[in-house]
Amino acid sequence: MLLKDSKILIGDDSILARRRLKDLLSDMGASHFIEAVNGAEAVEKYIAEQPDLVFLDIVMPVKDGICALKEIMRQNPEALAIIVSSVGTQQQIKAAIEAGAKDFLQKPLNRDQLKNILAARFDASIDNTLRE
Amino acid sequence: MFIQFFGSYLLSKGAVSAEQLIDAIEKESSAYVHPGALAMHAGMMSSEQIEDVRIAQTHNDKNFEELCVEKGYLTKEQVDELLASQYPRYLSLGQILVENGVFDESAFHELLASYIAENQIKEKHLPGENGETIHSMLEKYCAHIESPDKAYHLEYLNLFLNNLVRFIGDDFTLLRPVTDVSSYTAGKYASQHTTGIYDLTSVLDMSEDTAIAFAGRYVSEQFDEFDEIVQASIEDFLNLHNGLFHVNMSNSYSIELGLEPPAFGSDRMLNISGSTYIFPVLFPFGIVNILLQEPLSQTL
Repeated sequence: MLLKDSKILIGDDSILARRRLKDLLSDMGASHFIEAVNGAEAVEKYIAEQPDLVFLDIVMPVKDGICALKEIMRQNPEALAIIVSSVGTQQQIKAAIEAGAKDFLQKPLNRDQLKNILAARFDASIDNTLRE
Repeated sequence: MFIQFFGSYLLSKGAVSAEQLIDAIEKESSAYVHPGALAMHAGMMSSEQIEDVRIAQTHNDKNFEELCVEKGYLTKEQVDELLASQYPRYLSLGQILVENGVFDESAFHELLASYIAENQIKEKHLPGENGETIHSMLEKYCAHIESPDKAYHLEYLNLFLNNLVRFIGDDFTLLRPVTDVSSYTAGKYASQHTTGIYDLTSVLDMSEDTAIAFAGRYVSEQFDEFDEIVQASIEDFLNLHNGLFHVNMSNSYSIELGLEPPAFGSDRMLNISGSTYIFPVLFPFGIVNILLQEPLSQTL
């Protein structure tokens, strides 16, 4: 799977956080984004759009990211989901991994961390931008 | 952080006006050379290493020099050598105020001597001592606060000031805290509730113009008007700071706290029930207020 062909769902209540993540992913070649402003909307959009990759914040209104992730994993146990949060406590990281997250990114985001995570998950031999 | 407290000290002694201080802070800030730039100039670090440390700084409550040593980019001796090539920043600030005619040399020396003595600032600090001194300066700054949560408030403020330095800029000074708050009209503000053993509502409030400038620094963009990105910047900064505070509390004290999503509000009177403390931070672009609101049951 190429990052540039992937459908990516970003669930974060902050328009700024969504924009920052989209900018970083766009720089790496991604172009197909779906946005959700809370956990409930993220689950709805996951079911409707079946994205290839999901980024979820933890602290969100209506439904938090961990609850949303559990629902997404029930829908698709193979879902590729990454939690992106400023609350990177051991407890939250454990909860995220137990809920099915493949990785945990501590905010503020930095390009290298994101790139390393994606290079490990996507076929880096095809996606040149991830190898730079 | 000594420079921010020195500004606060000068204001409390009536030695400067806020305008005179801000003018001097802007001059000092533009002349200041970051230790990273000094290290690169001296051939001790590469730009990639400096960037690596700057990124690490956003995830750690440690200063630039400490992280350089921790990552093996600099030895302690090299850090000493770099720092010895610079005057302490509060000295530079005082010197600018003298040059600006705000006070004369002898008044400056008296103020400096009393500031150093009162805060037990040493010329050279042993590792860890710097943090202890800043903590005791914060304690003095918060001397009028009486609360069972005072120790948490100090931890919170300490990290808040560090996050201001990291994400907004270090050209600020602390104004006197307001501890007897019975009513408060906010401008553009974000609030967020922390739950658990430290039950707190934190509010980040500022005027519209200040918010536009604050957001500009936070996202490194120029804004001309208050829009949704400016609003999101205020919320995002508070949420990021509170998240990092939770990480610190968990890592340092094994205290796990809950965090609710931030909320944004505009031009309204806040509901003050429990004890509320206001900590105003003066930047060249305006005053940023951080309010710590305890729940009603917490009030002494």
